[in-house]
Amino acid sequence: MAKLFPRSVNRLPLQITLYVIVVASIATAGATYYMTPKYTRVGYAPIQPVPFSHAKHAGELGLDCRYCHSTIETAGAAVPTAQTCMNCHNQIKTTSPALEAVRESYRTGMPIHWVHVHVMPSFVYFDHSIHVNRGISCVECHGKVNEMDVVTQVKPMSMGFCLDCHRSPEEHVRERADVYNLDSPTIAEARGIGAGRAFVQDWNIKPPVSCSGCHR
Amino acid sequence: MKRKVIHPGPSEREKSGPRYWRGLDELAETPGFKAAMAREFPEGASSMNEVDRRQFLKIMAASFALGGIGLSGCRRPEENILPFGKSVEGAVPGLPVYFATAMPLRRWATPLLAETHQGRPTKLEGNPGYAPHGGSSTLRAQASILDLYDPDRATAHTHAGKALDSAAALELIAGIGKAHAGYRGAGLAFLADQSSSPTRERLVRELLAKFPRAIWAEYEPVADEPDTRNLRPIYRFAKAKRIVSIDADFLQAEAGSQYYAREFAKGRRVVKRDDPMSRLYAAESNLTITGTMADHRLRLASGHMVAFAAALASKVTGDPGFDKAAAGLDVDPAWIAECAADLVAHKGESLVLAGSHLPLAAQAIAFEINSFLGNIGTTLEFLITRRVPAVTIQQLATVIGKKAVQTLVILGGNPAYNAPADLDWPSVQKSVPEVVRLGYYEDETSELAGTHLGAAHYLESWGDARTFDGTVVPVQPMILPLFGGLTQNEVLAAAAGLPSTDPYTLVFDTITALTGSPPGVAEAVFRKFLHDGFLDGTAFRSMRVRPGMTLPKTLLDAVPALPAVSKDAIEVRFVADARMDDGRFNNNGWLQECPDPITKISWDNAILVSPRLARELGIDSPASEIQVARKDLADFDKGKENAHVVELTVNGRKLKGPAHIQPGLANYTVIVPLGYGRTKVGRVGEGTGFSGYAAREAGAMHIANGATIRVTDERAYLADTQWHWSMEGRDIVREANLSEFQEDPEKMRETSLEAEVPRPLLDPGISQMTPGERSTLIPRGNSLYETPQFHGKQQWGMSIDLNTCIGCNACVIACQAENNIPIVGKDQVLRGRIMHWIRLDRYYSDGKADAAAFGGEGNREIPDDPQISMQPVACMQCELAPCELVCPVNATVHDDEGLNVMAYNRCIGTRYCANNCPYKVRRFNFFDWNMRHLDSLYMGPLGPHGMPELVQMVKNPEVTVRMRGVMEKCTYCVQRIERGKIEWKVKVAQEGHPEDVIVPDGAIRTACQQACPAEAIVFGDIADPATEVSRAKRREQDYSLLGYLNTRPRTTYLARLRNPNPRMPDYQALPLSRVENLDKNHPHKA
Repeated sequence: MAKLFPRSVNRLPLQITLYVIVVASIATAGATYYMTPKYTRVGYAPIQPVPFSHAKHAGELGLDCRYCHSTIETAGAAVPTAQTCMNCHNQIKTTSPALEAVRESYRTGMPIHWVHVHVMPSFVYFDHSIHVNRGISCVECHGKVNEMDVVTQVKPMSMGFCLDCHRSPEEHVRERADVYNLDSPTIAEARGIGAGRAFVQDWNIKPPVSCSGCHR
Repeated sequence: MKRKVIHPGPSEREKSGPRYWRGLDELAETPGFKAAMAREFPEGASSMNEVDRRQFLKIMAASFALGGIGLSGCRRPEENILPFGKSVEGAVPGLPVYFATAMPLRRWATPLLAETHQGRPTKLEGNPGYAPHGGSSTLRAQASILDLYDPDRATAHTHAGKALDSAAALELIAGIGKAHAGYRGAGLAFLADQSSSPTRERLVRELLAKFPRAIWAEYEPVADEPDTRNLRPIYRFAKAKRIVSIDADFLQAEAGSQYYAREFAKGRRVVKRDDPMSRLYAAESNLTITGTMADHRLRLASGHMVAFAAALASKVTGDPGFDKAAAGLDVDPAWIAECAADLVAHKGESLVLAGSHLPLAAQAIAFEINSFLGNIGTTLEFLITRRVPAVTIQQLATVIGKKAVQTLVILGGNPAYNAPADLDWPSVQKSVPEVVRLGYYEDETSELAGTHLGAAHYLESWGDARTFDGTVVPVQPMILPLFGGLTQNEVLAAAAGLPSTDPYTLVFDTITALTGSPPGVAEAVFRKFLHDGFLDGTAFRSMRVRPGMTLPKTLLDAVPALPAVSKDAIEVRFVADARMDDGRFNNNGWLQECPDPITKISWDNAILVSPRLARELGIDSPASEIQVARKDLADFDKGKENAHVVELTVNGRKLKGPAHIQPGLANYTVIVPLGYGRTKVGRVGEGTGFSGYAAREAGAMHIANGATIRVTDERAYLADTQWHWSMEGRDIVREANLSEFQEDPEKMRETSLEAEVPRPLLDPGISQMTPGERSTLIPRGNSLYETPQFHGKQQWGMSIDLNTCIGCNACVIACQAENNIPIVGKDQVLRGRIMHWIRLDRYYSDGKADAAAFGGEGNREIPDDPQISMQPVACMQCELAPCELVCPVNATVHDDEGLNVMAYNRCIGTRYCANNCPYKVRRFNFFDWNMRHLDSLYMGPLGPHGMPELVQMVKNPEVTVRMRGVMEKCTYCVQRIERGKIEWKVKVAQEGHPEDVIVPDGAIRTACQQACPAEAIVFGDIADPATEVSRAKRREQDYSLLGYLNTRPRTTYLARLRNPNPRMPDYQALPLSRVENLDKNHPHKA
């Protein structure tokens, strides 16, 4: 009886297995790299409707974060109202075309459509007030915003990122006075990790690491 | 890195044959393409810094898009932040703001705090400033917020088929006023529902002063107050040691029930062993939640209640004048005699009250008894209320019949649906030339009116109201009228031609006049009024009752002879449904799905018949066996109650509805709950139940006699959420008699399976231990499993007092509102897929269960006169949670504060956890209830998808809206715990003592706890022995549900105590559930 299959077919199962392994590895590696939360968003710097420069205001002029983000200590870091901008800009650069959107919003009451940069998934319940009041500086998550012309996401904001800090707060805490000073070192950086641990101990800082801390 | 690859040149065939190319670039052989081909990777792909990687992704995205695949959908959508243009004072994004308001219902209101998120109200709580309610609320108040966002509510004003805006609508009303001004209002009539609003009262008086010949009529289909003119009896249950309720459901149906529930609980709560406890005697025809709390319950037809009252009065006072009215009463004389003796022994601290639906004679007799016992002024007071003189709907109909009404303005109510049947209101209304209706829905009445005006919800209107004791409370808008609705005050002001119809000004003027504030301070007084949510010192004065004052004896002489009741002369009792009220809440999905507290039927009403009557009608077997412990006898279609449809004939008027066999009813009384069977209602209420109004006549609004019942061949499914009523002799609800408890609290534990094993519980320190510590002492506590240690600083726990829980369901709906719990519809409830995180279990025990599970016969018959036990069951937050062991994906795990948490994102929907839960408190999203329409669930992706914007607004932003395929359950309101912790830690950090992280007791309250009118639920930190919950758990009644499973639940119960009178003929030395339990566990003793 003539052979139905040529001899080379004998190697086919091995070839298929190898092929599947290679493809699966590439797919897994690719997915791990590109699709896990850690890398999906870092570097995101959308164009905002008003070319507001934090480097100018917070860096050069030295405005405190809380001047504009006034609700940070009670709830979230709300984006300031147009009225807050106009506190200064009814004196300075009153005719700048870049600020037309702000003046328009102040005049009509219609909101400016700022683009959300640091987006938390809707199943995460994050509260700014507890972090800034318990020694976590803005810089820990937002980076040196005071040096940014365009706000850019610099930290992954993934669950792993949150948990890294929640598991070792001693590396990240600052004195209360330094929370809004984005150039200040953490306690651990300034005085060693022991000082950080002592601070965490003194303040009874025990960040939640179970689901209920952030998910409801 | 570049590598030169020498490709072989094209073959001859390739040169001559057709050419293939991979892109237009290649075809054109552009220089760029050639350069790109020479690179191993596309530009940027091999450089790993972030910006270049982004570039690469952009290129890839762009190329995919060009290729027509379009992966742009995989990117996260761009979201916007929209800050205010001008700053708003007090608005903090992410933080709720609370405003005081009140929910008016008939002639009393519930003071509330409304939680608003960015200007939209999402949740209502009782106003804690108003002491008589202690911050509690009611079932209907909790659910009323859903009505605000009802997509079926009236969204426009229409006149002769054309839409009007609000200003035009008010002009139209003002025009009516002007047209009738010339005749001093002749031909103008108003028909309104009852109201407690001082502003409405003022406006009506002004209107009638201007139009003295106009008619002002008021109609309410449900009587929750006795018709005692301007006197309102108010009972002080906390001071009453002995209470006799004569057909009065004061815990639910009577006005002021919210206040009464709280006061009654005060008299029932036994904290220490020798605390006093009140004793409740209840005579009733229906089985109400008041009856379930009674220590002695007498089943008696409502038509015999006056005679019962008279017999009691005769025994108490010894006055033979009552005997005539008591003639023919068929009640064990010993029952009345011992009850009377108990009352006489407690002069000045007893109370007798009669239901509002009873004839005035019953009120008069109750007054006589109270007067004799010296209760007036101590446990009973009479408030002098205010009422606008109003005619009845019958009188109005008579005037309309004489063609004397040209214009009829109907404010609220729904007479076309709920007016007495013999009035034939629809044709009466149609005979009026011009009818203007102000209504929240375009309902039966609006359908017959030429002009319909959309009413504003109370959460979008300015107004005022009075609580049950008369305290004036504000009705404050939380949001602008969503559809430009109008208030009654605006309409009345426009009709009266007042210069201003601005609702705020109207209320402001009333309050200013009421407080007598001079112009300078009026604004401040009003602002304080709005802030506090009530006006101190405006309660009604109570009447001074002179000793010896009696009511006219003529009332007694007018008492008719006792109506005979039998199978052929059935008594029909029309009651307001516990959820629908008179039908006004019919389109409220939360209330529709909320099971009735007693029957446990949702989405329907049923004609309730007693087991005795059912037997005589031949409908008890086998259909009723669904309620029987023996499964082999059950004619039970996959867990669905398949009820016989019966036809009830009352005075020649017929009613057809499913019959539900309800233990505990008077033998020949059938109960017809009102509020269902609406013909013109929204999508939720459509097709639910039958209308009891069809057989309700003006002469027999509450009690009708001589009805007959006929069983038809039809069957109807009832969505019954609890069809099994027996505890099967288990110690699910532990009960003891007060005397036994006072003698030896340990005896109560004899009921438990834990008592079956020897345990070192004689240790005197045992009562100081927490249940967790205690459970380690019992043998199963020394299990092979490692006992978990929780390291959180605070450990959450809950205690539920079954002794004060009245089973009113307020917690169920409060939980639903707080936790975004969806409704599933009747069809899915029939399949057992109800989503409530708390369920209220209702058990009957008649002492006859003999352990069907162990070969006994079990309860063969539905008990005629059972004892009832209620038990709210939510997730127990077991420390050794069986659900956690079986989850394959760790979606349910413990946190370090002892909560059994659900991570919805991890859940893959195996439902193993629900299977392994001994308490059956986990709920599974079989469908995407939120995004799919309940009538097209089975269409899958072909069905409509999405949630109406209006419905989205009611969702609590602090809680995830769950989707299909996810398990969910009670979380102890984890969002409130986290909020409480955050607020406290922020506060201490700002005050300079950040180390003080323990949230003080009482700062965190769960939604169920906050709503409970009886304060039966306590929540808090069990790691601290000083907290209220720790103290509750140290009480001797404390027990764990199914504690012998060693699940170590964090929620424990306080056993229920009954306080029967040993001298009564129906005295039981042990509660019947205990009897069943002992029979089962100690058969040798029996």
